[in-house]
Amino acid sequence: MSLKSQLLKGILEGCILSIISREPTYGYELSVKLQEFGLDDVSEGSIYPILLRLQKEALIQGDMKKSEFGPKRKYYDLTNEGQEALKEFIHHWQAIKQPVNTIIEKGGKRE
Amino acid sequence: MNTKDLIQLNNEKRNQLTEENNKYYGDMLVYIRTNFNKSERYTEEVLLELLEHLLQAQAAGRSAKEVFGDDPKTYCDDIVGEIPSENKSNRITFALYIVLNLIGTVGLTVGFVGFILHSLFELGNGNMAFPVGSGMLIIFIDLLLLALFIFMIFKWIKGSTFNEKRPKKWIEFLWLWALSTLFIGLTMLVLRIMPDIGTDFHVSFPAIILIAGIVYLISFIMNKKMRIIN
Repeated sequence: MSLKSQLLKGILEGCILSIISREPTYGYELSVKLQEFGLDDVSEGSIYPILLRLQKEALIQGDMKKSEFGPKRKYYDLTNEGQEALKEFIHHWQAIKQPVNTIIEKGGKRE
Repeated sequence: MNTKDLIQLNNEKRNQLTEENNKYYGDMLVYIRTNFNKSERYTEEVLLELLEHLLQAQAAGRSAKEVFGDDPKTYCDDIVGEIPSENKSNRITFALYIVLNLIGTVGLTVGFVGFILHSLFELGNGNMAFPVGSGMLIIFIDLLLLALFIFMIFKWIKGSTFNEKRPKKWIEFLWLWALSTLFIGLTMLVLRIMPDIGTDFHVSFPAIILIAGIVYLISFIMNKKMRIIN
């Protein structure tokens, strides 16, 4: 697996949890939202293996529901464990974001 | 929504795909479906999701290749790897259904053929005699052979996906023919070379028809109630 996809994997999981936590979301909608937030480098299909994994870990659950206009779709919702996992992700991300940015900006420069 | 409803919905929606997308998605569907021991529910749900996604992307002018990438096999392996295993009760129900249905069908055939041969053409003595041990062993081995046969067919179907150049039709046919012949041949061989084990058991053909009929009926009701295969 390339460095890029390894880097993305965990982050993408966190982003998916975060989007789903706002409102029940279905697959296509989720991929559109990710792209709208600027993650357009992520290939659309890559969310489905992640959604399956998150279900297996019981962080999200899917329900076939009828949408207002349109066909029956599988809407995802966060479970209690999912809420916890999201909190944890945010916590880790906050802790790592600043140092990583600083390191990258300063690069190898010596002061 | 039952799994069989999901499959039907998938069949209906697939018609809306363009030819190119249908080919791409069709291969994905076969590849993902021909898996042993994966939850049928999750398999069908994700297949429908992928189809829905593709349909929406298609409406927006994007192709399957753009959505799922140009390495569908690896992508499908990723998906399959994340599908949970089938739960135990579903597996047992399915196996029980297959066994009952098979015993019922074979029993009815043997019973009716024997009965007709005897009553119309006066062939045989009107009942079947077989050693109990051998009979059980034959059923067991033949079921194993059947499982192996189905496994090979699945492998073969799976291997036929994502191939740019498919082997010629007649070569495929020849392979399938050879495999089927081998299977039927082995089934018959077991019947012939099985030594007599256990005491002899005599049943009249009408009794076989009755028992096999009941067994078949049970499998039929099982399927109606639980929608195992349809």
